[in-house]
Amino acid sequence: MTANNMADPRRPSKIFRYKPPNTETNPTLEDPTPDYMNLLGMVFSMCGLMLKLKWCAWIAVYCSFISFANSRSSEDTKQMMSSFMLSISAVVMSYLQNPQPMSPPW
Amino acid sequence: MKYFYLCVSIILSELYLILKLGRYNDDFDDGEDIAEFDDNDFAEFEDVSEDPAVDVEKEPPPRAAPSSTPIEDDEDEATVENEDGQDEFEDADDQDMYSKYDNEEFEGYEKTNPSFKNTLIYREVPAHLQNSWESYYMEILMVTGLLAYIMNYIIGKNKNSRLAQAWFNSHRELLESNFALVGDDGTSKEATSTGKLNQENEHIYNLWCSGRVCCEGMLIQLKFLKRQDLLNVLARMMRPACDQVQVKVTLNDEDMDTFVFAVGSRKAMARLQKEMQDLSEFCGDKPKSGAKYGVPESLSILSEMGEVTDGVMDNKMVHYLTSHAEKIESIHFSDQFSGPKVMQEEGQPLKLPETKKTLLFTFNVPGMGNTSPKDMDSLLPLMNMVIYSIDKVRKLRLNREGKQKADRNRARVEENFLKQTHTQRQEAAQTRREEKKRAEKERIMNEEDPDRQRRLEEAAQRREQKKLEKKQMKMKQIKVKAM
Repeated sequence: MTANNMADPRRPSKIFRYKPPNTETNPTLEDPTPDYMNLLGMVFSMCGLMLKLKWCAWIAVYCSFISFANSRSSEDTKQMMSSFMLSISAVVMSYLQNPQPMSPPW
Repeated sequence: MKYFYLCVSIILSELYLILKLGRYNDDFDDGEDIAEFDDNDFAEFEDVSEDPAVDVEKEPPPRAAPSSTPIEDDEDEATVENEDGQDEFEDADDQDMYSKYDNEEFEGYEKTNPSFKNTLIYREVPAHLQNSWESYYMEILMVTGLLAYIMNYIIGKNKNSRLAQAWFNSHRELLESNFALVGDDGTSKEATSTGKLNQENEHIYNLWCSGRVCCEGMLIQLKFLKRQDLLNVLARMMRPACDQVQVKVTLNDEDMDTFVFAVGSRKAMARLQKEMQDLSEFCGDKPKSGAKYGVPESLSILSEMGEVTDGVMDNKMVHYLTSHAEKIESIHFSDQFSGPKVMQEEGQPLKLPETKKTLLFTFNVPGMGNTSPKDMDSLLPLMNMVIYSIDKVRKLRLNREGKQKADRNRARVEENFLKQTHTQRQEAAQTRREEKKRAEKERIMNEEDPDRQRRLEEAAQRREQKKLEKKQMKMKQIKVKAM
C-alpha cells in the first residue's frame, strides 16, 4: 500500500473544487472588447436610425458581429441578440426610408 | 409734244406702281389666287430633272385641306388667317419637302436636323429606379464583408477547438496519472472528473486538476489567438503573436517555503517586474542574465536572494530551460502572489492584498500563430517540467540565514504598506473631523434663538479647550518619558 502511495502522487482526499476567479477584484483579467463593441453598436444603430445614415447602420451591424465573436460563453445571449436586432432594424429602416444605394464617402 | 411725253411717263409710272401694289396685295389674298401662288412658291423647289406632273399631283391633295379653311374666313381677319394659312402652307411645304426627299432622293440617308436634337434634354433616372444591381455595389461590398466575417468566425472557432482537443489528447495521460480530479467546472454537486476542457470563450479553454500531493490544485488555461475575429486576424498580420498555455499551481502553506523567484524571456521579465505586486516589492534588482547559471542568454532571472536561485536552478531545471528556451515565456514561483498591481483610487484605505503560494508558468506554443494540432505534442515536456517543479518546491527549504532575510523582507514590505495606509487613514479621519465641525457650525448659525446660539457656541468652545488640554498632557507625558 505504502509503495503504491509513494509512487502514485494522486490523493483523492485532497481534492479541491474549481472556483472561477473573481473578476470584480481583478478587472484587468477581463477582456473589455465585447462590452465596448456592444455599446458602440448601439450608438451607431441609433445614429443610423435618427440621422438616416446608411453607413452608420452598416457599421452597427459589424460592431454587433464583432461583439458576438468576442463574447464569453457565460454572457447573456439576450443582450447580444438585442444589439443584433437593433442594428439590423437600423439597416432595414434606412433603406425603407431611402431606397437609393449608399454613396461612397470618396 | 412735251406734254404728251410727260403724260405718258406719268401714266406708265402709275401703272407700274399700281401693278406693284397689287402684287403685294395678291400675296396676302387667298382663294382664287392660290393656284397661281402655288406655282410661284414651289417654283424654287422645282428641279429641271423632276417630273413636273408628279409635283402637280402631289401638291393639290395636301393643299386641299389647308386651303379650304382660309376661304371660309372673313376678310376682316384676313391678315391673321393669311398668316395661319401661310404657316399651314409652310408646314405643308415642309411635309412636301420631306415626302419628296424620302421617296425620291434619300434612300438610307440619315439627315440630322440639329434644330430638333438641341431641344432634347436627357434626364437622369434615379439610381433606385434603374433596374441594375450595379448601382448597389457598396451594399454588395458590405454584405460580402459580413459573409467573409462569418466564414472566418466558423473557421477560426473550429481551428481553436481542434487545437484545444489536440492539446488535451496529448496531455491527458500525464494529467490523469498525476491528479485524482481532471476537469471540473465547479457547478456539479459531486467532485467527479469531467474529463474534458471547460470552454470559456471561443479562444480560451480551462482545465482544473486537483487531488495530488504537494499542491492544492492546478488551473491550466489555453489562451489561443482570437482566430474567430476577423479584425484580430488582420491585426495579427501587422503584429504577430502566438498562442499561450498558462499553468497556475496553487499550493498549501506547508508545501512551499518563503521565497519569490522568476525566470523567463527578457521582455517578459521586464514587464512582470513592473506589473506584478510581489515581484516589484521583493525583487527590486534588475533581471540578471541567465548565462551565469548555464541557461541561454535569452532568459533572465529575477530573484529575492541568490540562495533561492541556486536552490531552484539545479541540473534538471537547467536542462529543461535550455532545451525549451524558446517556448518559455515566464516561470514565476512566489509565496506572496497576489496578482498584478491593482490601481487603487485615492482616499480609499488600502487593505493588504490576499496572497497565495503559487507557481505560475506561461508557455508559448511554437508556430507563431500558424499552429497545427501536431505542435501540441511539443508542449508535453514542459508539463513534465511543471510536475517536477511542484515536487521540487516542496523539497526546497531555505537555510537559517535565508529564512531570516526572507522574514525581514516581508516585515519591511508590511511596514511600508501600513505606513502608506496610516497616512491615508489619518487623512480620512482628519476630513471626517473637519466635516463634523462644519456641520456643527452650520447648526449654530441656523439657530434662530440667540440664547440657544450662545449656549451652543459656549459648549463647542468648552469641548475644544478640553481637547487641547488633553493633547498638552500627552505631550508632557511623552517628554517626561523621553527624559
